[in-house]
Parts: sequence; C-alpha cells; structure tokens
Amino acid sequence: MKRFLVLFAALAALWTAPGLTPAWAALQVDVTQGNAQPLPIAIPDFVGGDPALGANVAGVVRADLERSGLFRPLDPKGFAEHITNINAVPNFGSWRSITAQGLVTGQVTQQPDGRLRVDFRLWDVFGESQMLGLQFFTTPENWRRIAHMVSDAIYERITGEKGYFDTRIVFISESGPATKRVKRLAIMDEDGANPIFLTRGDYMVLTPRFNPTAQMIAYMSYIGSKPRVYLFDIETGRQEVLGNFPNMTFSPRFSPDGNQVALTLETAGNSDIYVMDLRSRAIRRLTSDPAIDTAPSFSPDGKQIVFESDRGGGQQIYVMNVDGSGQRRISFGQGANGTPVWSPRGDLIAFTRRVGGNFTIGVMRADGSGERLISSGGHDEGPTWAPNGRVLMYGREAPGQRGSSIWSVDVTGRNERRVLTPGSASDPAWSPLIQ
Amino acid sequence: MSQNQSPTRNKLAAQTAMRRMRPTTARGARYGVLGSVLFHGMILAAALFTFHRSFDTPEDSHVVPVDLVTIADVTNVAAQAPPTPEPEKMDTPPPALEAPPEPTMQEVEPAPEPPVPDFKIAKEKPVPVEKPRPTEKETAQDFNALLNKLTAPEKPVKTAKAGPRVIQGIGSGNLMTADIADALKSQIYRCWSPPTGAPDARDLIVDYDLGLNPDGTVGRLQLTPPTAAQAAGNAYTRAAAEAASRAIYQCQPYRLPPDRYNLWRQINPLRFDPRQMMGQ
Repeated sequence: MKRFLVLFAALAALWTAPGLTPAWAALQVDVTQGNAQPLPIAIPDFVGGDPALGANVAGVVRADLERSGLFRPLDPKGFAEHITNINAVPNFGSWRSITAQGLVTGQVTQQPDGRLRVDFRLWDVFGESQMLGLQFFTTPENWRRIAHMVSDAIYERITGEKGYFDTRIVFISESGPATKRVKRLAIMDEDGANPIFLTRGDYMVLTPRFNPTAQMIAYMSYIGSKPRVYLFDIETGRQEVLGNFPNMTFSPRFSPDGNQVALTLETAGNSDIYVMDLRSRAIRRLTSDPAIDTAPSFSPDGKQIVFESDRGGGQQIYVMNVDGSGQRRISFGQGANGTPVWSPRGDLIAFTRRVGGNFTIGVMRADGSGERLISSGGHDEGPTWAPNGRVLMYGREAPGQRGSSIWSVDVTGRNERRVLTPGSASDPAWSPLIQ
Repeated sequence: MSQNQSPTRNKLAAQTAMRRMRPTTARGARYGVLGSVLFHGMILAAALFTFHRSFDTPEDSHVVPVDLVTIADVTNVAAQAPPTPEPEKMDTPPPALEAPPEPTMQEVEPAPEPPVPDFKIAKEKPVPVEKPRPTEKETAQDFNALLNKLTAPEKPVKTAKAGPRVIQGIGSGNLMTADIADALKSQIYRCWSPPTGAPDARDLIVDYDLGLNPDGTVGRLQLTPPTAAQAAGNAYTRAAAEAASRAIYQCQPYRLPPDRYNLWRQINPLRFDPRQMMGQ
C-alpha cells in the first residue's frame, strides 16, 4: 500500500512540476535568428509657415537617423499621404504600403515673441498609435540644435537608449605639409556642421578631452616647447595651464563629476598617473611603477581607472581603484594594447591594438573578456565614445596619403563611415549631450 | 570476491528471492488488482501531458532559412571614404563662442485618439478594413480578437480552446508540430531586427502570445505577463519587445497548413531569443 502511495505522490509531483503543460497547450516557437536591418522610417518635411525651414529641420533629422545606421529614412518622393496637419491621425495604411514602420510628423511655427516652436509626433505604423509627442521652443538661429534634439528623442524612443546627435566633436585640425604640419584645436557639431577653430596653430596641440558639461576642454600643448596639459573654456576662450609641474604632463581626462583630472606626469624618464582636484589643485599620485603608466580613463561611476602600462614587458591595459589600489592587468590579447577608454555605459572598454604596423580599434568588457576588434582601417587609433556608449569615433592615418581623417563605427562593428571634417583631422573627442 | 561466495550464502539468497516472487496472502492479490488499475489510470493521465521544454526537438535543426538576397542600395559594410563634400572653410581665430540660448522642452498634448477603426463601428455589419478578409465563418471570432486587442484586455483572451482531444500527444516541440514551428520561424526571422547593440543584448529575450487568424494574419498579439512586466520597467526590453512586434506584423500573413489550423491558431510563447545571433 505504501508503495502505491509513494508512486501516486511522485506522479502528483510530476503533474505540478514546472515544465509540464497540458498536451493541448498552444504551439511554442523560438525565433533565434534575425536579420539586423535599419528601421524604415518616413519623415516628411515639417509643416508650418516657412516651408524651407520645415524642410531643413526634417532634413537634419533624416540625416541624423540615417547616419546612426539603425534607421533608413525613406525617400519623401514616394510618400502617398501629404501631411498638412500634425494633429490629425495619419492614414497608416498608406504608410505601410511604402514599407514605413515608423512615421514622424512635425511642425515649425513662429511664435509672437519671435521664437520658434517645433512640435513633432512619432507614430507606430503597425500598431497605429502615437509613440511620442514633444514640443520645443527656441530662437530661430538654434534650429539645427532643435532638429538634433528631435532626432535624439526619436532614437531614444525606438532603441531604448539616449541619443547622441545634440553633441559636439572637438578634434585636431591638420594642415600644411607633413614636415611642417600645423595642428589646431577645432570643434564642430556631431554632424560636421558649424566647424570652428579654437586655437591659432602657433603651437602644437594634442589629445583634447571634454569635461562632463562640454564647456571645458583639457588638452596637451607644446607652448614654449614644453608639453603640458592646458584647460580651455569654450565659452570665454580662456586657456590656462593645469598645475605648474616642473616636467612634462600629458594624456588628461576628466572624472565623471568634472571635479578632477587624471593625467600623466613624467619625472626623470618615468611616467606615472596622478589625479588633480580642480578646486583645490591638490594632486594625488596613483601609480609608482618604474614602467610607463599613462592614458588614464575613469569608469562612469568614478570608482575605477583604466590605463595602459608596459610594466609587464609590452604595452597592456590595466585597471585600478581610484585611490590607486588593486592594480591588475585586463588585456591579454596579442600585440600591444593601449589608449583605453571606459564606455559611458560602463559595460565596455575601447582600446587601440597594435600588431606589427597595424592599428585597430577594439572593445572588451570591463573585466577584459569578450574582446572584439571593430574597425577595419589598419591605421586606426585613439577611440572616443558617444555619450550613450553605442558609437565610437577614432582617427585614421591613411598610409601613403597626405593627412588623416576621423571615422565612426557602431559598437557592433557595423556602419563604419567617415566623419566629414574640413581638411585633415585627427584625435577626436566626443562631447557629452549638450546641457 | 562475490564469485567466491559460500554455497550456504547462495542458497539463502535463492530462498529470499523465491519468497519475494510468491504472493504471500490473498490480501496481496487484491491490492495487486487495485494497484494495477491505479497504475494504468495514472499512465493514461500522464499521457495527456507533455514536457514543456525538455523534449524540444533538437534546436533549430529544421530551420535552414535560405534566402535570395538582392543587393541593397545602402550596405552595412565598412564605408569607403565618400567623395568629400567639404564643408565650408572655417574662419580663422574664433570669436568666443556663445552658448546658444537654451531651448526648452515639454510634453506635447497627447495626440487625439485615433479615430475608431472601421471594424469597431461595424458591430452590426463587420467589414474589416485593409487586412485580408478571413473566411465568413471565422469573421465573428476574429472581430472579437481585434476588439480585444483594441481594448487591451487585462487577461489573455482565450481564443484558443482546448483542441480536440489530442491523443497523439500533440504539443510543443513535438515532431507533429515541429514542421509548423519551423515554417513560422522561417517566415518571421527575416523581419526581426533585434537591438543587438544594447548592453547585455543577449539577455533581451521577449515572449509574445500570438493568436493567428485562419488566413495567417495576426488576430491578437500581446506580451506574456513576465515580458510585459520587464518591458514596463526597462527601456531596452521595451525596445526589444517593439522590435519583435514589428517583425510579427511585417511578415504576416503566415503561410501555414490550413488543415492544421488547430495547431497554430495560438502560439504561446512566441519567443524571440537573440543569444545565437549574439554569438552565444
């Protein structure tokens, strides 16, 4: 009798066990393969009193989204429905018929006080519903920024992560012959618009880096033949040397809160990493190895610093706590690995790998695992992250050609493309989202 | 050691075995019959159930999606340097930059409610629009499914009734349905563009409960409660769920054997799992 009870109990247990469902349950299907494609999106010219302005705003939005590689703006010539009123619900069938999966309708109007008002709505064409509706006010000369903000909002709603179009790039503009190259600090919008020189080119500048408010740039310059780290205030144009060190300082990088700068100080042929507090100007030494330690970059939580060192023989990537403790090597791939930059998202570290004469951009997880190479130029160097940690820019030195260029690539390795700059350019640094 | 057991011990063992085989009392026989009935009953009961996952057919062994690819205008391959439309030359030394006046941003009033789609008004005379018409017989049921979708019911709509008693043990992952699952997969995968660049993208697995009309169009689509809960709190999951939903709509209608509609009228979970794509 006991035996049957046990058997019965066992069957009862099986009955209730997870994983067992009635035999007449719905069909289960696992889709495990996909087809990464940019999202087809229709963005008609924005309506409003000034058709040219409406077309310009929509044009910037289309270009932004196309550049990301995640969207495929459809050619407005094929649009069947002519949008005249953005407060009416579109005829979704007509947008489906041209394969649009997203639709953006927008309007630009001049306010009585002279300001511009830009409204837009993002529609889910299949779901036949509004996904997002926003409104912006600004001065007329600011229309490009508004267009970038519209792009950022659409990008964020569709991908789940913040956009990066309302940002700027600071870079080194190069001109003149290779023997007497003039290097100047320059800045432009993320899409290449509004390029401006920040320095005259009387002295060489290198490795510019934004602070978290995108108002200040730290860089290295050879003023008076002495390479030192300087700060540049974009709003006032004022520059100052960062700390009066007796020796060479280089590779500056702001902390995520903007209150500190990590940099490398060279003394008696030995380079080590220091952190300077910008308010008190007090400095702290973090490494004291006889090898070269340089290129520090903070983790987004400000608790760790990734850097490069040749203490193990070759140039490799290391991580330490922000007080200098717990130094450990994380890169073990082939060749030399340097210029590490921690992603603003925190998940990845971008770096440059050199094997022989070949320079490639790669990413690895913060513990050194999952390493991938994502650029294809062979002479790519010095990665910088978009503020959302999704896209990288870097400099490319084309062998045998004059000048260098800036390129961008998605963190997946797709969508590698050249960033348009006026003339030769190198050493890009991506700003945070403009505040 | 065991080969060298003593004869006495062997004899003892044989006796014990004999005792076990022999029914000792009449009571034992009664229990035997009862036990047998119970046991067989339980086997029959067990036959009505199948394992949810563990008996899955070898994963994806059936899907060999073959596709003729046309060359698109835009490629994802590393771009060559485009012929440089050089932006305007910059002016030398900069005027001090002025911070642009800050734009302000606020929520737009929500869009007007979409006008009630025709099929909702058509309560008396159901005239569905746009979507291919299902057969007459199925219209009423479909129409309910669409209505339910519009009113976003809190509970899953039970359009899929228990099918006819499936003695053959038809359920998930069974060979009887594997070909249908494969057919659906091979039609849906080309439309699915998962967010591969998100952090921990391989964990963005989403489950849908999909009700299909007999003509293969989407009748009812909703996230399973666990995925819905995740999507409510995580923008990446929401993006992944929306990408999967776009795939489901984009690739409809699905061509599946009409004579076996009972097997594919409800798919739950329809799972989108990017791990293989992400190199897992």
